[in-house]
Amino acid sequence: MKLPSRNVLAPLLGLLGVYALFALLGPDSFSSARNLETMARQTTIVGIAAIGMTLVIISGGIDLSAGSIIALSTVVVAATMNAGASPLVSAIAGMGAGAAAGLLNGLIITRLRVVPFIVTLGTLLIVRGLAKGIADEQKIDAPLSWLIDLLAALSPSMRWMIVPPGVWLLLLLAVGVAAMLRSTPVGRHIVATGSSEATARLCGIRVERLKTGVYVASGAAAGVAGVMQFSRLTVGDPTVAVGLELDVIAAVVIGGGSLSGGEGSILGTLVGALIMTVIRSGCSQMGLPNWVQEIVTGGIIVAAVALDRWRHR
Amino acid sequence: MRRLWLLALSCLLLSCGESPDSGRTTIVVIPKGTTHEFWKSIHAGARRAATDLDVDIIWKGPLKEDDREAQIAVVENFISRGVSGIVLAPLDDAALRVPVLNATRSGIPVIIIDSGLQSDDYISFVATDNHQGGRMAGQEMARRLEGRGRIVMLRYQEGSASTMKREQGFLDAIAESPDIVVVSDNQHGGATTESAYAASENLLAPLQTQDGTLTIDGIFCPNESTTFGMLRALQDRQLNGQVRFIGFDSSEKLVEGLTAGDLDALVLQNPMAMGDIGVRTMVAHLQGKPVERRIDTGVVLVTRDNMNESTVAELLRPPIDD
Amino acid sequence: MSLLRVNGVGHDFGATRALHDVSLQLAAGSIHALIGENGAGKSTLVKTLSGALRPDTGTLTLHDEPFAPAEPSQARDAGVATVYQELSLAPHLTVAQSLFLGREPTRFGWLDTTTIQTEATTALSRLQRTDIPLDARILNLSIADRQIVEIARALHGQASVLVLDEPTSSLTGEDASRLFDVLRRMRDEGLAILYISHFLEAIVDLTDQYTVLRDGEVTGGGATAETNATELATMMVGRPLLQRTKRTSTVRDTPDPAAPQDDILLHVDHLHGSPLPIDATIELHRGEILGIGGLVGSGRSELVRAIFGLDPVTSGTVRIPDVSGPTTPTACLDAGLGLLSEDRATEGLALNLSVADNTVMSRWPTRRRGWLDLLGRDRAAERWIDELGIRTPSPESTVGSLSGGNQQKVALARLLHHDVDVLLLDEPTRGIDIASKETIYACIEGLADQGKAILVTSSHLPELLSLCDRIAIMDRGQLGPFRPAADRDEHEMILEATLGDRSPAP
Repeated sequence: MKLPSRNVLAPLLGLLGVYALFALLGPDSFSSARNLETMARQTTIVGIAAIGMTLVIISGGIDLSAGSIIALSTVVVAATMNAGASPLVSAIAGMGAGAAAGLLNGLIITRLRVVPFIVTLGTLLIVRGLAKGIADEQKIDAPLSWLIDLLAALSPSMRWMIVPPGVWLLLLLAVGVAAMLRSTPVGRHIVATGSSEATARLCGIRVERLKTGVYVASGAAAGVAGVMQFSRLTVGDPTVAVGLELDVIAAVVIGGGSLSGGEGSILGTLVGALIMTVIRSGCSQMGLPNWVQEIVTGGIIVAAVALDRWRHR
Repeated sequence: MRRLWLLALSCLLLSCGESPDSGRTTIVVIPKGTTHEFWKSIHAGARRAATDLDVDIIWKGPLKEDDREAQIAVVENFISRGVSGIVLAPLDDAALRVPVLNATRSGIPVIIIDSGLQSDDYISFVATDNHQGGRMAGQEMARRLEGRGRIVMLRYQEGSASTMKREQGFLDAIAESPDIVVVSDNQHGGATTESAYAASENLLAPLQTQDGTLTIDGIFCPNESTTFGMLRALQDRQLNGQVRFIGFDSSEKLVEGLTAGDLDALVLQNPMAMGDIGVRTMVAHLQGKPVERRIDTGVVLVTRDNMNESTVAELLRPPIDD
Repeated sequence: MSLLRVNGVGHDFGATRALHDVSLQLAAGSIHALIGENGAGKSTLVKTLSGALRPDTGTLTLHDEPFAPAEPSQARDAGVATVYQELSLAPHLTVAQSLFLGREPTRFGWLDTTTIQTEATTALSRLQRTDIPLDARILNLSIADRQIVEIARALHGQASVLVLDEPTSSLTGEDASRLFDVLRRMRDEGLAILYISHFLEAIVDLTDQYTVLRDGEVTGGGATAETNATELATMMVGRPLLQRTKRTSTVRDTPDPAAPQDDILLHVDHLHGSPLPIDATIELHRGEILGIGGLVGSGRSELVRAIFGLDPVTSGTVRIPDVSGPTTPTACLDAGLGLLSEDRATEGLALNLSVADNTVMSRWPTRRRGWLDLLGRDRAAERWIDELGIRTPSPESTVGSLSGGNQQKVALARLLHHDVDVLLLDEPTRGIDIASKETIYACIEGLADQGKAILVTSSHLPELLSLCDRIAIMDRGQLGPFRPAADRDEHEMILEATLGDRSPAP
């Protein structure tokens, strides 16, 4: 195992820097174990969706529908639970709904050959509308179940887990997908497709199938993120996560992903998501108003990408 | 160069940050949103109580009143930060259950204001009797229509307990007058003034005849944003004054509407009292005094006739400026 | 013994005959040269071999078996590996990853890194280039090293035939000779290599057999040892010279040294670009048409782009009346110097805009207070549509809907509308029909007669011979001397372009 490559090193240093800054300036509670757990929980939803988004961005695409898929997933989970399904089946249904939306993205992109930005801009609205339709334009209350504990603060009896199960799931997914990307042919093919689609095709890679798969994976990841969102809200909410896809994309980009494809890493993406959570949490704990958080986060996105360009020159 | 930037950034952060004195009682007040006038009144009341009792308050809420996730995050952050108590206006009666439970588990007491929560994990519930407020509006409507006519009600938002109770109270009072027909009561204005405005336009369009008059006699809206959205929609189509229009809550524009006769009546809560009593009750609880489980802050019906009486005027134009 | 046979292959693109009854045989353990001018059909033949194109007629056999690849990966699996002119590597992958892309060895579904490392090392050591680090990313490698990676990838596995399309066009002399060593070693290992190139000296030096293509047909072939560069050049050109009469020059064939210096409208002095051109000097006189010939990649476009300020200049000066030193496109246009780009589709024209908009794009007619004069635009467009015979439904039609020849006329109309004094025309007749060519020739000559100065580049030497007053040949970035067209012939120019063989100026 090698050290993280230079691409990941920069965001990692950025994360440490931002954390140190708030630990120094902010209240003591910022660096408390409890707040670390809170930040881990708050990163989980964006983090899980961003794992899928990383695959899409490495393959040279983009998925703007991620936020809507999260909302659809919460609604599907709540609706299936109300229909009498067990929590596990409901969670799988939520993930399945996400995967189906991803399949729709993938098929339109590869079959109709429309650019991903436009396709997913369209499905952003389609999926959001679908979620509102299923929910009849209301939130859906659902019975309490163990799904709630996925991302709730740990009750004293579950302290041994250190962080809630949802955070473990995020880490597990991250390790799995990173290994896939690094050490399986499919992973290589995704990088090759994003780097040079013509070359990938020339080398016998079935680019269309691969891309469709990538969007399905991204949709499924957003679906799982939706299950996590449901766990936080305890209700199915068709209006949740509006604009969250931008946070997800920002996480990938801060983590070294290139919107022109071929570059990006799971570790970098998680670091990128954490940077945004740290800023949010730090600013909030210091009592800074929302607008300061937004300016700081925006500045960091631009700085991260500018730094990347400058380094590549 | 880099050091200079860091220095500048730290100065910015320090100058903006209000680092609470650790020895003092710090109460966070979390509204549903921060943009509506209503919340500014609550803020003013909370500030008044804080000054009187010499405690610190922090005011922090989501920007949008339908952003459940944002309000959950705010509650969590203050649990992590460890405040003395939380005064919360939950924007969803279910979604905020878990964060409130977490706060209670962490030893931070929670007082719920304005809207109810499907939970028992709070110290006290300080709010308007919304059902009574709705009834008051319904009775006024029935009186003005002399017991017969066609009316519509534009609902606020599904899942908002306080407005749902007002809506129910209104419908219960109307039901006592059998000759009043409710033409529509299933449309929702949504969280923002803009969405309420659009919903009002859509609601009014089919109710308008060719010559521009309305086929209804009365309108009720259960909160400030729906009332304002409806008022704007009526004014745009020059339908203002044609119908009996009763709203809920107050703002500068609604007071103007009332003065001009575009609005017939407003049911006013007492948000100043809600903020004030919320903080006072929290302080009392923290000092170990017993507090009531349910505290009603009362409603007042305001018309053109009584709007200049001093007690009513303070509710209409709350002293919210700093 | 022939490994790969091409039997009477023909292919048409619409009405254009790209290949007609082409046959050749590749023997194991030999390097076979495929030569021909631009457009002779070499690339079409390569595409047929690599599976990118199905021939209309004729057959291919490999190891005496029928060989009809439907797509590139099939040809590769059958053992025919192609290295294209434009390198096809994914820039973000490492060397090792590139070598195995699309056929990664796995163990239980995971990449087998041990096998990858050892086989990658083997593949590079076969080319004696183990100095290329396996974990370096392609984008950090030099062009020459990327080419080695391409060849290593092509050869990896059981490739028995290697096709190289113009491999040295972007290589420096040293890198090229290293590549030749590699190819010779591959030949000695028993590979059949088809080597496509313009550079006759390299062909004579490297190859064993040769086949000459001209206008899609085989015009010669045999053992390279029995021929020489001059003979090859004759076979490449072979056709009767263009039937155009030579232009009767209005200026002296050799500029009179005593002519007043203000006669020079464009003076380029020892211009260096990065990396091309190398030390170019040009004096362009009023009423003169200068031609620059040379092969694709010799740096003609880079030269005119550097003059116009589109490409960076490292040293040397460009002087036009009023402007001197490094130029910018804006300054050039203001000073009356215009460029016709060789790339009509992406640079020369805005294909989505109308004929009228494209015509006036560099100089919009305006009225007072900066409002655009739309009537003036239409009048200008109509004038040039009329004068140049642009066939368009209306001035409002989008340029993209016109034929190539008419598109080029619109591009030329823009320079005429701008009323520039010096015209840099980069490949003005590439890919357009004969009639449009004639219009453009006539227009260029008319402009020279009006006293404008014109610099034309072309890879089609007969065109330069009939059109220009003086011609220079560019070879690998270096611009040769300008000599009167009357003293030149095509054969001699081909040799100069392909051999860098410059006899002293008379």
